[in-house]
Amino acid sequence: MENELFMNAGASSHPPVMTSPSSSSAMLNWVSMETQPVDPSLSCNLFWEKSTEQSIFHSALSSLVSSPTPSNSNFSGGENVVIRELIGRLSNIGDIYGTPASNGNVSGSCYATPMSSPTPGRMMVTKTTTPITEFSGDPGFAERAARFSCFGSRSFNGRTNSPFPINNEQPVAINEKKPRISSSPALKPLVSHVPAGESSGEYSRKRIANSKQNSPSTVSPSKEIEEKEDSDPKRCKKSEGNGDKTKSIDPYKDYIHVRARRGQATDSHSLAERVRREKISERMKLLQDLVPGCNKVTGKALMLDEIINYVQSLQRQVEFLSMKLSSVNTRLDFNMDALLSKDIFPSSNNLMHHQQVLQLDSSAETLLGDHHNNNLQLNPDISSNNIINPLETSETRSFISHLPTLAHFTDSISQYSTFSEDDLTSIIHMGFSQNRLHELNHGSSNQVPSHMKAEL
Amino acid sequence: MASADKLINTDVPEKDVFALHFLQSLSNLKTQNPLNSPAKSIDRVRKIKKAAYVSMARAAGGTSRLWSRALLRRAAKDDNKSVRFSRRKRKVTWKISSKRRKSNNQRAPVVEEAAERLRNLVPGGGGMETSKLMEETAHYIKCLSMQVKVMQCLVDGLSQK
Repeated sequence: MENELFMNAGASSHPPVMTSPSSSSAMLNWVSMETQPVDPSLSCNLFWEKSTEQSIFHSALSSLVSSPTPSNSNFSGGENVVIRELIGRLSNIGDIYGTPASNGNVSGSCYATPMSSPTPGRMMVTKTTTPITEFSGDPGFAERAARFSCFGSRSFNGRTNSPFPINNEQPVAINEKKPRISSSPALKPLVSHVPAGESSGEYSRKRIANSKQNSPSTVSPSKEIEEKEDSDPKRCKKSEGNGDKTKSIDPYKDYIHVRARRGQATDSHSLAERVRREKISERMKLLQDLVPGCNKVTGKALMLDEIINYVQSLQRQVEFLSMKLSSVNTRLDFNMDALLSKDIFPSSNNLMHHQQVLQLDSSAETLLGDHHNNNLQLNPDISSNNIINPLETSETRSFISHLPTLAHFTDSISQYSTFSEDDLTSIIHMGFSQNRLHELNHGSSNQVPSHMKAEL
Repeated sequence: MASADKLINTDVPEKDVFALHFLQSLSNLKTQNPLNSPAKSIDRVRKIKKAAYVSMARAAGGTSRLWSRALLRRAAKDDNKSVRFSRRKRKVTWKISSKRRKSNNQRAPVVEEAAERLRNLVPGGGGMETSKLMEETAHYIKCLSMQVKVMQCLVDGLSQK
């Protein structure tokens, strides 16, 4: 992924590409972040060290990708070349830097010096590509780079792929290199050789040298790498190579087996870190489906903000509705409280009950017709569920007593094919209609109340 | 993510379970205060709200969820009651996860900031790791939305004229 960005920056040397100056400026910013003496590999390593914070990297990369306006005036041509060399090393495209490579030695001497000591031979061949070994020589760098490539690949895949059409007009060399540099794993094969040590360093060197030399001995390994890259362009690769492991969650064992992905460090901490991050992203996706309007939002931070807002709004809604309920219930509360205090003598209470019931039923009258049928339907089924309480003749009392019979009620719910919100309101109104029917059958015996209750 | 859904269970009971629990708690509320109806409406509101949360926690699965457990414990503490928790096998205790949390500095700070805010919102979030917290949040959101629907229906039903 970074390779594409760098490649674009590098490719800009011939035809101007929008992203190149911004990327080089960003690179410059990164490099300037370091107070160390200018040593390309070292500075880059330090950069990687200091910017382990994903957020910084994220913002840096986003500035890389999103800012199209060049800030050429900021740096001289020499720095441009220096940066291009750096980019070239990382992207392993020696061909592109054919022309500027010669210039690189002039002002990029700072880069040249450390290169000269370990790998003089290769320096001749690919001035821009040799120090990759030095990059890869730093295991920490490898780990972090891999981590960054992993992290960024998801969010940058879309963006990094877009510059490709721009570069299609570029020299053929770039297109040839395309298969070698897929979104994230381009860096990985370079980095994957790190844990294996010196031998792998040579492996990567051979690969890099292949671009210029085409030596027969190195063709096969480089091709292998290419194939590997091609076959596994996605982020979640499981492959042969150094220290590969796959992730599987075994519910029967106590711990999770994790396999390090290709090109990543096998450090236990980083593995656990990666597992944890994957878990979190998994759950974020789950939450995304739950929270409405979260599909458009990308990025963990914004989505989490959305989720938090949603939870807050739901809690506020609960509070608001409880307020409303309390206000609506004042009448009922009063009635019920008054009635409950005088439940000993049902006969004397009936008059009062009627008065109160009337208040209740005025609200239910409109729906009585609808629910009458429902009541009749339930009669035959729940006739056995008689909760006879002769003392409880008050309508509101029966209303309350209806509530404990909700257990039976839920059995009858199965009668209703769909339990929609309308049904719920109908249930509430049934409670009222019970009272109404009770009033109508006022003169009848106690069978009625129990019958009414059974109807529920 | 079909595979993820099998691993992360965020099933929530049907609406009628929530309705049942809420109505029961409401009736209990009313039977509890027969003589002295709270003069201040705020108290009544608070009681109803508390009843709503408690009934939601019960409907959602009682003590099988971390947030519901914390909610019930909080409510019981207010009433000076004790909550009975059934013994069940737990893989990770809350204390361990919080200890582990302190030792890890490399967590993405962006995520952790939001997780902190979420912890304040979701009951029982203080002792959970971020990934577990998100699970609980998902379940909590589902239950909350269900409870809101139930309450809305109730209010509509009662206020209709």
